Amino acid sequence: MSERKYIEFKGVTKAFSGKPVLRGMDLAIDKGEVMFIIGTSGVGKSVTIKHLIGLLRIDAGEIWFDGNRVDQLPERSLAPLRKRIGMVFQSSTLFDSMTLAENVALPLRKHGKLGHRAALEEARKRLAQVYMADDADRYPAELSDGMRKRAAIARTLALSPDVVLFDEPTTGLDPVSARRIDRLIRELAEQLGVTAIVVSHDPPSIFGIADRVAFLYQGVVHVVATPAELRASQDPIVQQFIGGKSSGPMETPGF
Amino acid sequence: MMFLRTRIEAIGDAVLGFFRAAVELWRLYIATIAGVARGFSRRRDRRGRPRGEVARQLYSIGNRSLVFIIVTLGFIGMVMTYQACLQLGRVTGDYSQVGSQFLRLIISDFGPTLTAMMLATRVGAGIAAEIGSMKVTEQIDALRMSGVLPIDYLIVPRFLACLIMTLVLAILGSVIMYAAGGLTAQYSFGVNPNSFYDLSFIRPRHVVVFVVKALAYGAAIPIVAGFCGLRARGSSEGVGWATTAAVIGGSFAVILLDFIISASALWLTGGDL
Repeated sequence: MSERKYIEFKGVTKAFSGKPVLRGMDLAIDKGEVMFIIGTSGVGKSVTIKHLIGLLRIDAGEIWFDGNRVDQLPERSLAPLRKRIGMVFQSSTLFDSMTLAENVALPLRKHGKLGHRAALEEARKRLAQVYMADDADRYPAELSDGMRKRAAIARTLALSPDVVLFDEPTTGLDPVSARRIDRLIRELAEQLGVTAIVVSHDPPSIFGIADRVAFLYQGVVHVVATPAELRASQDPIVQQFIGGKSSGPMETPGF
Repeated sequence: MMFLRTRIEAIGDAVLGFFRAAVELWRLYIATIAGVARGFSRRRDRRGRPRGEVARQLYSIGNRSLVFIIVTLGFIGMVMTYQACLQLGRVTGDYSQVGSQFLRLIISDFGPTLTAMMLATRVGAGIAAEIGSMKVTEQIDALRMSGVLPIDYLIVPRFLACLIMTLVLAILGSVIMYAAGGLTAQYSFGVNPNSFYDLSFIRPRHVVVFVVKALAYGAAIPIVAGFCGLRARGSSEGVGWATTAAVIGGSFAVILLDFIISASALWLTGGDL
């Protein structure tokens, strides 16, 4: 029972300036699985995962993580949660004014309570793990998108989180870099038992590394399935999405 | 009827929005003061802000505004003295009081206020654009995920730097303004420098008003700009909105504070300022 409800969204609703985005969404995620959240742009995929770590507040519903309710925690009490659940943002979000080593050292200093020098040393080791030891003293602006993404992942993994949220990790990357990121996510799950929640539109990632896929449509989880089940699904909306067809039963507001 | 009702509702929404923003702005101010207090009480490496950030901001807010402030306040001083002498020449022809009255005006009002207006545009826009673009590119969220309070990290160093630099630049700007006015009076109207640079009319209360104004403006500019930056939404358009709002809001705050402090000073001194 507890295994099944490692992370749970119950009846989550969220509206932005009057416009509903999530309308009573339910989703349960197991420990150690790679769960993909897919859906059209603006359907609330990123919004969903940001609720889990208190970056956004839900309007109604409940969110549970490892036996504790987390949606009502005040900002100050969120630090332990954010230590256990890391997030890799869509645009890498490295801090421009810091070198890569300083970027990776920041969470180590704040969450990990390491001193300045100790954190920088640890940061260099973490960068070496993603093959970026030589770039530790460079600034984010000097690097390619793929390298920035790797450094951002190193920063998130620096605290050895139990859960990692990836917001469109492969968007904007060349296919080779994208598949490397996929492999990294898979390795995290298999070797370290990290639970990964990945927001993505990228079919090779979805069908390549997902354990299960949650398809978000009109503010609720339309279907949860394994990639194989999803491919075999007769649901016309799912078919339209994974087939990438411009016409079909799917309603996409504003487009 | 329906049309009227939607209009009234729109006005009500706008008023509510304004008050909500005012409350949020006040809370940001309190949180910043709390952040400053935390910064002083904790060990160096436990502070929320990056190392040397206040010094970096002092340089960025102060040194980089130097030429801008000197040039603008210098020209304003020249124009104001020129106009005053021109009008005086038409009425009485007596220039003996121009310098001392001009100095009183600079110290109790124009020096800090004009400096702050200039800083509200240059510094306010810079702060709002920087924090706003960090907001829309999710860097603020990334800071929160790294266990950093964005207020301690971004607002507090800018607040401290702006507080100090507004005072310093107001002093410098006032000196430049006075000197430029003196040169204009001397070379355009033949006013004796000894009578122009006459400090005997200055009283301690003028200096108190000067310092209070400079500090109040220095506190308001980064708070308003940071507030606008943190409220930025969407993409580059949101950053543009934040920047514009910061310049307008900052200038408005300076004017409003000028009025409040001047009126309070007049009231406290019984009109003898």
